[in-house]
Parts: sequence; C-alpha cells; structure tokens
Amino acid sequence: MFIKELELTNFRNYEKLHLTFDEAVNVIIGENAQGKTNLLEAIYLLAFTKSHRTANDRELIKWEEDFAKIRAVLHKKNQNVPLELIFHKNGKKAKLNHIEQKKLSEFIGALNVVMFAPEDLSLVKGAPQIRRRFIDMELGQIEPLYLFHLSEYQKIVKQRNTYLKQLQKERNPDTTLLDILTEQLIGHASVILQRRFNFLKKLRKWAVPIHNKISRQLEELSISYVPTIEVLEEAAEETIIKTFRERFEQIKENEIERGTTLIGPHRDDLQFFINGKDVKQYGSQGQQRTTTLSLKLAEIDLIYEQIGEYPILLLDDVLSELDDFRQSHLLSAIQGKVQTFVTTTSVDGIDHETLKRATMYNVVSGTVNRMTN
Amino acid sequence: MYYPEPISKLIDSFMKLPGIGPKTAVRLAFFVLDMEDDDVVDFAKALVRAKRELNYCEICGHITDQKICHICQDPNRDETVICVVEDSRDVIAMEKMREYNGKYHVLHGSISPVDGLGPEDINIASLIKRLKDSNVEEIILATNPNVEGEATAMYISRLVKPSGIKTTRIAHGLPVGGDLEYADEVTLAKSLEGRREL
Repeated sequence: MFIKELELTNFRNYEKLHLTFDEAVNVIIGENAQGKTNLLEAIYLLAFTKSHRTANDRELIKWEEDFAKIRAVLHKKNQNVPLELIFHKNGKKAKLNHIEQKKLSEFIGALNVVMFAPEDLSLVKGAPQIRRRFIDMELGQIEPLYLFHLSEYQKIVKQRNTYLKQLQKERNPDTTLLDILTEQLIGHASVILQRRFNFLKKLRKWAVPIHNKISRQLEELSISYVPTIEVLEEAAEETIIKTFRERFEQIKENEIERGTTLIGPHRDDLQFFINGKDVKQYGSQGQQRTTTLSLKLAEIDLIYEQIGEYPILLLDDVLSELDDFRQSHLLSAIQGKVQTFVTTTSVDGIDHETLKRATMYNVVSGTVNRMTN
Repeated sequence: MYYPEPISKLIDSFMKLPGIGPKTAVRLAFFVLDMEDDDVVDFAKALVRAKRELNYCEICGHITDQKICHICQDPNRDETVICVVEDSRDVIAMEKMREYNGKYHVLHGSISPVDGLGPEDINIASLIKRLKDSNVEEIILATNPNVEGEATAMYISRLVKPSGIKTTRIAHGLPVGGDLEYADEVTLAKSLEGRREL
C-alpha cells in the first residue's frame, strides 16, 4: 500500500497543505521545529486515530481554529481508498471511502503503518509498558478482535481493582463478587495471552534472521514473553484458563490485602537476549539499537505476511541515530517495496542508492516544497 | 449574559436533563415563554405527577402508579419464569415484542464497583427473597451485553444456583433482517461462537 496524496487543513502548524507522494521513498528535510514530524504524525493518525506524541487531540488543531482535517488517498489492493479524519474540540470523526465510520475501530486497520522514532530506542531498555504497548499496537493492526478483548480486559481490571480496595476495608469479606470478576477477567486474559504468544512466534520468525544479518552473523537474538503465570507458549486455552484459576485462588488473600490485581497480561513483559545474554541488562547501546531495528523491520514482513500488503514505514529522525552499516541495512531492506517517509535535518553523509532515488521535500515553517533533483 | 431570575432558573432546570446543553436550554426556556398558559400548566403538572404518583412495584421493581404493577397482578402471566432486566425501559422493550408471557424483575442498574454500585446497591436482594417458597422454574438473565451486565448476570446465576432453579442468559448475535457485511467484527465473532447445527 502507499499514500498517493495527503491534504492537511488547520493541522498543527499547517493551515492548508496538499502533497502528492512517491511510491517509494520520500525524504522530508528541514530544520528543527518546522513541521517535519507533524507530517508523519498526520499519517500515523490515519492508521491509529491516536497520536504517538500526545493524548490530547486538541493539540492537533491549529492555534485558534475550530477543527483540523487530515485527508489522504491510499492506494491499496489496486484501488484508491480515500481516508479522512476530522478533529473537533469535542471529538473526532473518521471517514473511509467517504462514509463516516460509527466506530473508530472500523477505521483502524485500513492503513497499516510501522513507525520508527527516537523514542522507540527505549523499547528494549525502557519500562515494561513500552513493550506491552508495542505488542498491543502491532497485534491490534492485524487482529481487530484483539483490541476488543484488550479493552474489555482493561475495564474489568479497573472494576476488580476498585472492588479489591473495598474488600480491603472489610473484616470478613464476602468474595462471591470477586470470584465473578476474576472469572470474567480470566476469560479475556487467556485470549489475550494466547494471541500474544502466537504473535511472538510470528515476530521471532522474522526478527531473528534480520538481527543475524544486521549483526553480520555475529549475534543470535532470542525473544521471550514473560507472563505472570507459569504456562508454556504452546499451551491450549483450557490449560491457560486452568492455570489462571489456580493462581488467582492462591493469591486471593494477598490481592485483597494489597487492593489490586497482581497477575495478568497487564503485568507481562518481553525479554530480549543476544547470544543468551539479557540485552536490557548487559547489551551495549549498539546492540539495543540493532534489536529495536530488527523488531521494526520484522513488523514490516509480519504485516505483509498477515494482510498481503506492505505497510507504510515512517522513520522519524532515526537515520542519524544509526551507524553507517545499520543505516544501509535499513535502507536496503525497504528498497523497492515499502513506501517510506523519512524526516531528517540533512541528508549529507548518507550515501545510499535508495536515498539518491528518493523524492525530497523541503519544510520551512509550515510550507512544504518538492525539491527537484 | 444577564437573564431575569425566573428564566435563568428555568434554563438551569432544563440543563439538568440528559443531552441538553446551555444553548438548547436557553432555546427551550424561551420557547416556554411563548407557550399557551394551559400548556405550560399541564407540562408542569405532568412533571410533578410523574415523579409523585409513580413508584416501583413492590414485587418486581417496575414503575407503576399502584403498589403492585399490572404485570405482577396479571393472573394470565406465567409465574414460573422471571426475566431479569437492568431498567424499566427494558421491560417496555420486552413487552413490545408480545411474545414473552412470564414475569419480570427490574434491577435498576448493574454491578459496577467503579461507579460505587455493589450487589447490595441494586435490586438483587428482593429477587432472592422472591424466589423463596415460589414456583419459579427459570430465571432469564437479560442484563446488557457489556462488562457490567455480564458480571451482574454471572453474580445472580451464582446466587440462584443452590436453589436448583434454572438460569439462562440471552444470546448475542446478529440483528435479524440486517446484512452480514454491516456487522462489526465483535458481534460477528460472537455469532460465530454461538452458531448451531442445522
């Protein structure tokens, strides 16, 4: 898939902008704070309807304006698909093929995007929720039902935590309702866990060989999913449910005492190993970067495998974060198959065939000009 | 903006209704000023009467202007089945169908600790009391198909189980007469789960 056209109205620092893009690589060059990332953010929003930078949609609307609009023409499966997202002060509307979608979840997934931004470099080293978010975003793109189970699960965790806090204050707590909430929680938790296990299997299949190649056959990457219950990745759903039931029964009193849900997918984590050593603890910065890069490139292949089209790759200021060898590996990997948007302050010093053939755009304070080369 | 007190009070009152913001409230209040005197008096009386003269049925909790609602009083209705719903509006929806001939029990909410509603805050205790020494054979749990409604149904089913009375849960699935292509993926998945052999 690729984006043919993008039109922004009152979006961030763009009052009115209309751009046509190349099917291959588009490089957006500009000084800091000119609006480079805003362009990538607009594309990201069309994929997820949520920004990767802010939880407050009002920030997306240009100062002193009432609404912001992002419109794009996506080319997918040999058809043009118009996408439109409108942000008002009190909500947003999404249109697919000019038809308004009642549920945003029906809009998400029309456009598939893989983003690689400097903050992704903390994927390996940062807090566990960054890694859970990574799984949720990717899995949500390819399995819409996963998002349903995840949001139901989160609602139940919230109900259950509130109830546990109430029980905490009682002397002889009646746990009938707690048992019900636990049973409800397990229903969704086991589906989420099983789908995540499955996702991991697919991710490994792509990420391990990519990592091996980027590291010049020197490093063997392995990824493990660390659940809060002891269960094998191959376990059947019934086994997962049974294990959850037993664990919840064991920790019931502890949970009441602490007033919070202690186990479940909302506390799981991912662990990365290079040649058997934990990358988070012992990996060099370079190894952490290579791991992140391998995961991002694996996502591209994974999405292709699942939906039969390559996603769009957004590279926000990361080329400069990678050394020559990794840069060149990244650029070769996308060559000729993935539409890519790259933001950078300068292309000097990057000598690669992919960039030479790219279309360049120059951004200066909210205006974008296509450069002729 | 300055309004004389009677009208600003009226605007405030309209704003207490759901779905009515400041602009609509102002429009409604000024509309009232132009209405016929009799209509305004009828309107005010209707509001007061609805609140004063209606109460909840002592047996099932449905709204009624008597002690016991017309459904509970009806000797022709099947006493062996009780349909449990969250709200009086759900009773009215079920009644429109004209296919159900059992009785009802209205919970007035669902269990939701986040909203401060525990099992003792909704009308469950009277349901359990009602089942004692009765000839009820089946309880249909028709709470809403969301997280809270599901928890409420499971909770009631667990309380009722020791008595040996059958509890059933209404099905999820596709709307009748609709097109498959317009169904959202969650509903579709649920209907696939609940498929049956022909």
